[in-house]
Amino acid sequence: MIAQERFFEHFIDPVDGVLCLPAASDAAAIECEASPHGLRFPLLLDRTAPLCEQVASSPFAPASSRYGPYCDNITGMNWELPDGRRVRVGERVVKSTTGYDLLRFLLASGSRYGRALDYVLRLRPACDTSLRFYLSGEVDSLRSALKALLHSSWMHWLDSVDLVTGDSPCLRVAVHCPSLELDAYRSFLSAFSKSFSLALEASADPALEGCPDLVVKTSPELVADTALSLAKHPGAKCVALCSCGVVHAFLPDSGAIDEIVRPIESALHAIGGHWQSRHVSPSPSPLEAPWIATLRKEWNLS
Amino acid sequence: MTPSSNPVLAALHRVAPGSRVMTSPAQMAGYDADGLGYKSFRPDLVVIPGDADELARVVKVLHDARMPICLRGAGTSLSGGPVAAQGGAIVHTSRLRAIREISQEGLWCEVESGVNLRQLDEALQPSGLCYPPDPSSGPVCTIGGNVASNAGGAHCFRYGVTSNYVLGLEAVLLDGSVHRFGGPAGGNGPWLEDWKRLMIGSEGTLGAFTRFWLRLTPRPEKVWTFRASYPDLQSTERAIHGLVRHPAFPVAIELMDPRAVALVESSAMAVGLPKGHFLIVTEIDGPAALVDLRVESVAEVLRSAGSADVLFSDKAEDRDNLFKARKAMGGLLGQVSPDFLVQDAVIPKRALANLLQLIYDEADRAGIAAATVMHAGDGNLHPNFLFDSRIPEDVKKVEGISKRLMQRVVEVGGALSGEHGIGNDKSAYMPMVFGAESLRLQLAIPQIFNPQHQFNPMKVFTERRFAA
Repeated sequence: MIAQERFFEHFIDPVDGVLCLPAASDAAAIECEASPHGLRFPLLLDRTAPLCEQVASSPFAPASSRYGPYCDNITGMNWELPDGRRVRVGERVVKSTTGYDLLRFLLASGSRYGRALDYVLRLRPACDTSLRFYLSGEVDSLRSALKALLHSSWMHWLDSVDLVTGDSPCLRVAVHCPSLELDAYRSFLSAFSKSFSLALEASADPALEGCPDLVVKTSPELVADTALSLAKHPGAKCVALCSCGVVHAFLPDSGAIDEIVRPIESALHAIGGHWQSRHVSPSPSPLEAPWIATLRKEWNLS
Repeated sequence: MTPSSNPVLAALHRVAPGSRVMTSPAQMAGYDADGLGYKSFRPDLVVIPGDADELARVVKVLHDARMPICLRGAGTSLSGGPVAAQGGAIVHTSRLRAIREISQEGLWCEVESGVNLRQLDEALQPSGLCYPPDPSSGPVCTIGGNVASNAGGAHCFRYGVTSNYVLGLEAVLLDGSVHRFGGPAGGNGPWLEDWKRLMIGSEGTLGAFTRFWLRLTPRPEKVWTFRASYPDLQSTERAIHGLVRHPAFPVAIELMDPRAVALVESSAMAVGLPKGHFLIVTEIDGPAALVDLRVESVAEVLRSAGSADVLFSDKAEDRDNLFKARKAMGGLLGQVSPDFLVQDAVIPKRALANLLQLIYDEADRAGIAAATVMHAGDGNLHPNFLFDSRIPEDVKKVEGISKRLMQRVVEVGGALSGEHGIGNDKSAYMPMVFGAESLRLQLAIPQIFNPQHQFNPMKVFTERRFAA
């Protein structure tokens, strides 16, 4: 006998570290639920934008360096198809191999097959110290330092390692830890920056860049050069989420996206990369068009 | 059967001369079952393609011959996945064993589907990188099987499961066409949709995987392993709950119940654990400067929860001993019982007592031995039922317990499988979790790539039967 359609209710489970709340919740709403339990949701791009808009704008946030993309931190959803039918996808537990992974497929599909109504978020232990360290100096030194950092066993313990472009590009390293561990992080980063002749500054500033205009998914060895290259476009600022191989570009004019991506698109595709933008609705490739048509037919979507 | 008497064999020999084709009962006996040994199905033939190109041509021949096609790696699945449930051909990937590239700078590697985890780990060691998923069959299981079942393992509490590490894959579809979904960059490539997400964990029902691009991470500089025993479930749960919230974020949190401990202690693998106790084994890893700071606080979590015998070490030999009891379980089951069923479910951690009691009550009532281990950080429960499949009544009892267990798992908000997949063992339980609309969405996926269910029929969903 087939079960009744099941849906997630809003809840928080501090033991499992999972929180179900509306997909349109913002950072403050998430913190309001998670903080009292000593938990946090680290994957944020923006303080005020609804989480569903953040997820739609990029599969990655800076803290994906440590915790993975959104799709590894959203364990389940209540999903509304374009005609209003509602289904549950995913689970409230973190680990599941139960049928086809529609959760990750739909999360990557933008709004082409509907929208998320509620998310089940995977939360992480919240610590009392959050700091950002900025390493600055010659670009070649930054490149060398970045390569060394990505191969260090510290990588698993840094919330993010970002290359931020600008007049003076810098490496931005985010640390979230118990205060009694802070000296260990400081000692490591101090010695590390010296060994690459880089200056080191710390800041408690938690500012987020917001939702990017353009996202380029490449591989970690190409990400720094890709970001530096994209930043040459007038007025563009780029943040490379280095271990994820992702560049977030913030542009003064979204109309310039086509001009920016056209020269790099075929090289990106060749290595299994791609670009996406919240300002652009892409088309399917000819080969997958019949697959999408079958999917839409089977899902009863007009 | 010979090529001269059988057109399918003739076609296979013609298009894939480097392939080995087996049809004799003695040759095929090893392919009758996977780790779910009591459910066996005899294939009509077994093909071992010499390389990926041959594999694509073999699939085309079998498709044209309208034979069920089941891809198989090492056959260590525990859910009845890589077996010929509807007869037909087993395509064995054991010769696709090349590690094509390790990109140290790019933190990725490209491997063929028949590469096993130990082979990959040995190849990665000089680079200082690792591929973290570590199912207990790691020494022999293949990457292809891992991707098909989205395998996990003890260390995935922090590092994640297979799907977190697949950047891309190459798949042969039914018509023999070869497609690459993703690649070293881990994005969509030229595709609009992220099709690889549907392929990972699809249990061989959508295509035949030939190679993968996998994400690698730096090896930890230092590891501490802890072992603690607890006199009751309440103190055990306190320890688990304390560990999952600890900022040291343990890599693994493994649990053995007193029946599993007793099984080990009554064997040659005994390590001197107190009888009637629960056992927790946990690990932290990272840079030495950080993990050394964390050791005492993790030990204190274990002690304050109620353990009087917390042991821990950062020495490789000691660590092996601390993990020994947990690692011994898999091999012991086969030694002490003619058959065993390793169940796999994920539960909210608060429901542990509820589920363990059900397992004990059901097993005791049926007179079936049961020993439970768990990836406790993830709530991934593995009750092991020991029985003799030559006794039909025992098989019925074990399957009845499994069904009621899964019903309870669903009731408490859990998942039917965390890392073994559904296979043919649990396909009958899928209607417990999917309503009519969700089921429609699920069954639409094979309609795209495998509408006749020729790839691995009668797996995952009972509706998936190939009409030859």
